[in-house]
Amino acid sequence: MAKLFIRYALWFLLLIPAQAIVFNHAILFNVAVPLVFLYLIVSLPVTINTNLSTLFGFIVGFVLDIFCDTPGVNALCCTVLAFIRKPIFHLYVSFDDDLAGRVPSTQSMVQTTYMKYLLTMAAIYCTMLFMVEAFQLSNFKLMTFRIIASTIYTFILIYALNLVTHGRHEQH
Amino acid sequence: MNELLGFLSKHSKWFVFTFFVVISCVLLFKSDPYRQHVYITSAGRMATSIYKGANNITSYFNLHEINTDLNRRNSELQAEIARLQEQLLRVDESRFTDTLKLDSGVHPFNFIVAHVINNSISRPFNYITIDKGSNDSIKPEFGVIDRNGVVGIVSNVGPNSARVISLLNPNLRLSCKIKRSEYFGSLIWDGVNPEEANLEELPRHTVFEVGDTIVTSGYSAVFPAGLPVGIVLGNSTDKTRDLFTLRIRLLADFTTLGNVQVVKNNRAEELKALQAGEENDSKKKTFGN
Repeated sequence: MAKLFIRYALWFLLLIPAQAIVFNHAILFNVAVPLVFLYLIVSLPVTINTNLSTLFGFIVGFVLDIFCDTPGVNALCCTVLAFIRKPIFHLYVSFDDDLAGRVPSTQSMVQTTYMKYLLTMAAIYCTMLFMVEAFQLSNFKLMTFRIIASTIYTFILIYALNLVTHGRHEQH
Repeated sequence: MNELLGFLSKHSKWFVFTFFVVISCVLLFKSDPYRQHVYITSAGRMATSIYKGANNITSYFNLHEINTDLNRRNSELQAEIARLQEQLLRVDESRFTDTLKLDSGVHPFNFIVAHVINNSISRPFNYITIDKGSNDSIKPEFGVIDRNGVVGIVSNVGPNSARVISLLNPNLRLSCKIKRSEYFGSLIWDGVNPEEANLEELPRHTVFEVGDTIVTSGYSAVFPAGLPVGIVLGNSTDKTRDLFTLRIRLLADFTTLGNVQVVKNNRAEELKALQAGEENDSKKKTFGN
């Protein structure tokens, strides 16, 4: 547990500044924003208590808001995402036992399942983020475009990060 | 207590979630004036719609009281309308008397205010019915005027109503004169236009101008002299060569007759008796010859 905590702390210290300094500026075609820090929430152990995951989600969002000067925006979205993470995971994986390890990753899950899980999480987060940011539906077309583009961009980067850190799942 | 704690621990994830969402929302709305504005207006709109919905439901419970109150107010307002209508009638009557300009010759005359209850203008022989009769000391051959001018002459009288021969009746011939030049003739309606009539039997040398006022001559006991009747529109040809006819626009608006005044000549009996005496004298003289 302590090992896991240290690991997440390190990821936290790495990804939050990276998001604020690097990824927030790596915008593609002026629409797609990579939200790589979502890896922190996506990769939380499935068995973790919901209260704890919600708290963690809030902290991640809150700290990122401090870096990005967007008070409340990421905190709200991360809290909601961390809260609904478990039900979303169970949309694709029926039981916790189906998971080989404790952390959802390309190694512990079937590729397609993980991809679906990651895509859903990224899509939900991007939708929430851009809607909260805009706070209006006047430019709905552009907002939809940004959500889709950012979801794909985020998905690709997190998936790549996962492959690098965990490797591929071995089919039996 | 245990149940409460059990409930809280069972649903703790919702409390934690709500707590963090609230904190995030506070941060979100406090930091950005635009979001704050949207929040305030949306919250206000939502509160208004909730209150409206609640009010829609609760208002049905008070319908009985509201109905009673409305009925009471309705009866009060009806009484008020009746009172105001009566006042309006009095004002109309007083204005009617004030606006009618009469010459000094009207002093022997009294005026009885009446209301027109039936009127026709489109028939060949038009009559007017008024709501005053013999009970109000109205008699046949009393003149009838409105605030603009002469209207007609009373023909038949009932206890509470009277029939008036309208000026728009070819059976009525009214002795009139041109106010400026004093030439007189007979005013008679030709049955064509309810706004116009003819002043006939004027001498050839009559001096007049278009726009001259035609007034009653005062040569009968019915109307005092000087009551306005109409305005000269122009001259028209007459069958006879020595006399000619003027076209007159009537001052009284027969299409909107409301209040009228019945002219009571206090000296009518005296004049009739005198005229009757003169006729008898002339007959005696004739027989004597």
